[in-house]
Amino acid sequence: MNTKELIKANNDKRKLLTKETQKYYEDMLIYIRLSYDKSEHETEEILTEMLDHLLEAQEDGKTAVDVFGENPKQYADDIIGELPKIVTKKRIKYMGMGILYFLAALAILSALFNVVEHYLLDLNELTYKIYLGTQIANLMIAIPIAFLQLIVILHYLRWETFKNINKVLAFFIYWIFGLTSIGLFFVIIYFMPSFGPLIEWNVWFNLIIGVVLYVLARSVKSFI
Amino acid sequence: MSLRTQLLKGILEGCILAVIEKQVVYGYELSLKLQHFGLEVSEGSIYPVLLRLQKENLIKGKMKKSPSGPNRKYYYLTDEGQEALEDFRHNWEWVKQPVDQLLDRRDNL
Repeated sequence: MNTKELIKANNDKRKLLTKETQKYYEDMLIYIRLSYDKSEHETEEILTEMLDHLLEAQEDGKTAVDVFGENPKQYADDIIGELPKIVTKKRIKYMGMGILYFLAALAILSALFNVVEHYLLDLNELTYKIYLGTQIANLMIAIPIAFLQLIVILHYLRWETFKNINKVLAFFIYWIFGLTSIGLFFVIIYFMPSFGPLIEWNVWFNLIIGVVLYVLARSVKSFI
Repeated sequence: MSLRTQLLKGILEGCILAVIEKQVVYGYELSLKLQHFGLEVSEGSIYPVLLRLQKENLIKGKMKKSPSGPNRKYYYLTDEGQEALEDFRHNWEWVKQPVDQLLDRRDNL
């Protein structure tokens, strides 16, 4: 079975667990899947084994606590500690794919915003002048920051998994995080000095670049 | 890690290898076998050990259809695993008798 089939089978089989066991198992599943530097296939295999074990134990009248103990987080950490790390080649592919998707989304969204602003709100021109050096510098800083934000999100989600955090508080945390992360990009753009050649740019270039990057990202994905 | 957990971990590894030597098993089966022999470990504790043994290439897992239907991951002993088990046997013999004797209250030194 490949990784995709394991995940699909897991989704189906999980429904057979009792409500309590399912909650216990799914918390562990989320937490273990969020350990992003582990081999995905090995991760899914052990998750499948744990699920199969629970299903059989359930038929014998045992609960998740009977099988995996009172402290699911500790248990999940033990599992993660023994999982093999993702191989470097794959890691580079994933990073490359991530950067391409990020840049594609950035290019396409900025083009769409510009077009909407132009046609609906009568703001902005479709062609405008940009400082090439400034634009490139902005992107070079934005990529590592986006990565950092992703890692912060992953760590936050892991931290949150076994705690029953109040929905209002969670919403507040997301809101603050979203605001500061978008704000950070605006601060960079605002303080970046103008340098490099001034060139004529067209909004549709952004769209074309975005689509090309998206296709590239897709092809990297199918390589993995 | 305390001496107690380290000791138990090593023993559990040896026992798991010994069960797999007798018979190819999958996770749930293995936990039942261990309990059958009177080892009262929590069932879940076998999975971190199974992962470690695979990393050390002492056992190999293979997805296979089980008699009851669904695919299960069955574990086999590798040649290195067989060697490790012989080592464990040897070491166990080496400590078993002296420790038993020391613990025995009736014997005088």
